[in-house]
Amino acid sequence: MLHIRDLCRHYSMGGTIVKALDGLSLDVADGEFLALVGTSGSGKSTLLNLIGGLDQPSAGTLEVGGRDLAGMTRDELSLHRRNTVGMIFQSFNLVPSMTALENVALSLMFAGVPRSERDQRASALLEAMGLGGRQKHRPKELSGGEQQRVAVARALANQPPLLLADEPTGNLDSRTSREIMDLVRTLNERDGKTVILVTHDASLASAYARRTVTLLDGHIISDTGQANTGQVAVQEHA
Amino acid sequence: MTFSDTLLLAFRNLRQSRLRTSLTTLGVAIGIASLAGMVSLGVGLQEQVVGRLTQSGVFDSITVTSGRTNVPGMGVMGRGRGGGRGGRPGQAGTAATAPAAPLEDAALARFSALPHVRDAYPTLRIPMSYTYDGRTNAALAAGVPESSRGEGAFQSITHGTFFPDRTGASVLLSLEMAQQLNADAPGALVGQTLELSYADSAPKAGGTPEFIAGVQVTRVSRPFTIVGIVERDPAPGANMGLSGIMIPLEQAKAINARAIANPQAFLQGAPPQTRRYTAVTVRVTSAAHTQEVQDHIKAMGFTAFSLNDALQGATRAFLLLDILLALVGSIALAVSSLGIVNTMVMSILERTREIGIMKAIGGSDRDVRGIFLVEAAAIGLIGGVAGIILGWGVGRLINIGANIYIERQGGTAGNLFSLPWWLIAGALAFALLVSLVAGSFPARRAARLDPIQALRHE
Repeated sequence: MLHIRDLCRHYSMGGTIVKALDGLSLDVADGEFLALVGTSGSGKSTLLNLIGGLDQPSAGTLEVGGRDLAGMTRDELSLHRRNTVGMIFQSFNLVPSMTALENVALSLMFAGVPRSERDQRASALLEAMGLGGRQKHRPKELSGGEQQRVAVARALANQPPLLLADEPTGNLDSRTSREIMDLVRTLNERDGKTVILVTHDASLASAYARRTVTLLDGHIISDTGQANTGQVAVQEHA
Repeated sequence: MTFSDTLLLAFRNLRQSRLRTSLTTLGVAIGIASLAGMVSLGVGLQEQVVGRLTQSGVFDSITVTSGRTNVPGMGVMGRGRGGGRGGRPGQAGTAATAPAAPLEDAALARFSALPHVRDAYPTLRIPMSYTYDGRTNAALAAGVPESSRGEGAFQSITHGTFFPDRTGASVLLSLEMAQQLNADAPGALVGQTLELSYADSAPKAGGTPEFIAGVQVTRVSRPFTIVGIVERDPAPGANMGLSGIMIPLEQAKAINARAIANPQAFLQGAPPQTRRYTAVTVRVTSAAHTQEVQDHIKAMGFTAFSLNDALQGATRAFLLLDILLALVGSIALAVSSLGIVNTMVMSILERTREIGIMKAIGGSDRDVRGIFLVEAAAIGLIGGVAGIILGWGVGRLINIGANIYIERQGGTAGNLFSLPWWLIAGALAFALLVSLVAGSFPARRAARLDPIQALRHE
């Protein structure tokens, strides 16, 4: 699914060059559940944004599903975001003025799905997330857990193979956090979605992810997947 | 994303900031109202002036005289009569290069057969004397063709009506003439009888035989019924063919045919059929064809002139006026286009995070740009429609006020503002264009937003 070689992302900030990612290499197979952990500023969110096509690398190779994002045009990147990845965020990022149904349908709208079909599909997804009765509610009328489930439904709308989660439980209490993470695990195990989870919470990473990659200052300092052959076997099985 | 979805999102955004949207739209409406109102005023004034002139028959009539010359006035005097005298050597002068064509009934028939010609008739002024209430005075009676009915000075007849038929012994008087006859109540003259006397060459015309230059002429007196009184039009040139006494053209022709207007021709025994006219008026269907017909007639060997050039000059002057008024009107529109830019920039600022979300879930630059462009276009179009309605309404109000004033000053009321379909379509297209141009910069900015930055925006 992912093939990353010597990936760099450098920012120029007030005259100094910030090396958010500095020559990072990583491979992720289809169906893995991988956690990216590290302190803030370690580069984990930068990596996730690059994989998600929200940002473009300064140098290196970044192949997702066999296609290199490094040379993509803005239009190609938007197609990548639409069809290859689904993202969920700490702050949910729902459009406040839209109902749950409209939020999910919005990503189908960009894909050019006709109105009746997208409403039907969005409704079915919300139903599957256990939000059947909350479709007409706006984000502020929903609890944090419900909002994040709407976001998950939206991320899945265009059936991407890759699910990217950036601190998805950061704004949730521990019980709701577990519910969301259980949902994500189900998507990985039952539906075969490749999941990359960014978190600073090492216990959450070890509880759900089968492989944990730790970053510091733009480099990988540890990778459990490569050390744990048993989990690699599970990956290959999946 | 389909266009209908772009519309859907754009209109939902506009609805969400109703106050701002309506204020911006109002700004555009005022801009378009001022632009459309100004141009409408220019067009209205043009229609008032040029339209009235055109209707007066000045610009769709061509005066034809016999012979060729570059100086119309000289042509009437010198060359016209020269034609009557035939090809005597040494008489042609310097300007003439071709023999002068005789201005006869046959020529009239040829003029009538030309395309776009509505009517061709001799310009007749017959010396007469009129007797009313025991007093006798001299006057020139003009022959008025049937085609002048309802046109120019005859559009509105102060008292009475136009000639009831083409040939009857009826007479129209100018208001001045009527006031000379009856100062207190000129209108009372309608229906009364006016005695007209003229010279007739027929031996048994029923008058007293007299001799002029050895030719027997008869003074014929006939009663004519006054059918109407015509006020001279205040518009310049609208009084073509108007004189104190006007009789039907057929009457004038009949009298002229036997009159001793041209003793030489008479002495040569020229029969009435080959009678030659001093001048002929050719009316064309519209002023647009005047030049074409004029050239045709010139090619036949006649002298022809019209006031068409003057009309073209007037039209050009009004075009300049229109442009000037449009420029003044555009100032408000320019200001309101800044309003659109401002609204869109504000809207993008407010919705930065939403734009980031849209991009994160797969919206392309084009999708985002489309939404904002449609919003700007919608503001422009709705503002345009409202502006045209507003401009029309204000124009009507000003028109009513101005007409009250004009009528008090003794003028004729009319439409100072004209809103033709091309102005409506043009104003709408312009509103759309201006809003798209104004919206393109903010829309481009929205499209180029960095999704990560946008998502972080609070």
